[in-house]
Amino acid sequence: MQLKRRHRPQALISLVPMIDVMMILLVFFMVTSTYLNLDMIPVVQPAGPASTTASTERAALMIRIAADGSVTARGQPLTSQDLRALLTQTAKAAPETRLFLLPSGAAPLQSMVAIMDLAAQSGLSDLRVLRLEGRP
Amino acid sequence: MKLRRPPRSPHSETIITLIDVVFFLLVFFMLIGRMDATAPFDVTPPVAVSGQDMPTGGLTVSVSQTGDLAFAGVTYNLADLATVLKPDSDSQRLRINAHSQTPTRHVLPLMTLGEDLGFAEVVLVVTPEAQP
Repeated sequence: MQLKRRHRPQALISLVPMIDVMMILLVFFMVTSTYLNLDMIPVVQPAGPASTTASTERAALMIRIAADGSVTARGQPLTSQDLRALLTQTAKAAPETRLFLLPSGAAPLQSMVAIMDLAAQSGLSDLRVLRLEGRP
Repeated sequence: MKLRRPPRSPHSETIITLIDVVFFLLVFFMLIGRMDATAPFDVTPPVAVSGQDMPTGGLTVSVSQTGDLAFAGVTYNLADLATVLKPDSDSQRLRINAHSQTPTRHVLPLMTLGEDLGFAEVVLVVTPEAQP
């Protein structure tokens, strides 16, 4: 007597819905993801160990930023090239010079960041942003 | 005369390759995409060449061009923001994501607030190239 082979039951779980879900998720992530190349500039540094050199001995340079973004240092209005030259010269002469930035409240942030950028490129790392606050 | 139907070739191999590719793409996008609460306004960060790489972790406050403040997708004023922002062991850094044309009078108080609240570091978010 010949026995018939039993038919194997077909797989009931279809892969098609899973592929659909994965496709939808994939398209969702591709569409909603925005890729920004972002960096950072520290403006308030973590408190480090106390400096051994007396702060009073260090040279200081104050740079004012006007409301239109123009820059003044040592009483002289400076162009971007002049400022770059001044900062480079200062960094060569006294690399520990402390730089103070005094921006006008109406000055755009980009002008302040541009000067911070120039200072970092010149090699001046000690930069403070002065914040004038009104009396209560 | 009855013709036999040619046996259908199984398509399972093709489907498995497709699933593999889709899975890889899915995992890729899930891993590299940083899910973050976006600000309720457009922010174009200032351009800086000397910016440092942004490490993960920290709290991000966005500042619009007109000085509106937003944290975790919700708009606050400065006083309310002070009650919401709290540095903890995982978030000792405050990131200020301000528009490049925001007047500094809207950004500088935020730096002071970060210091007053006890954040170890306050950083400005910048971009190395101009956004289109």
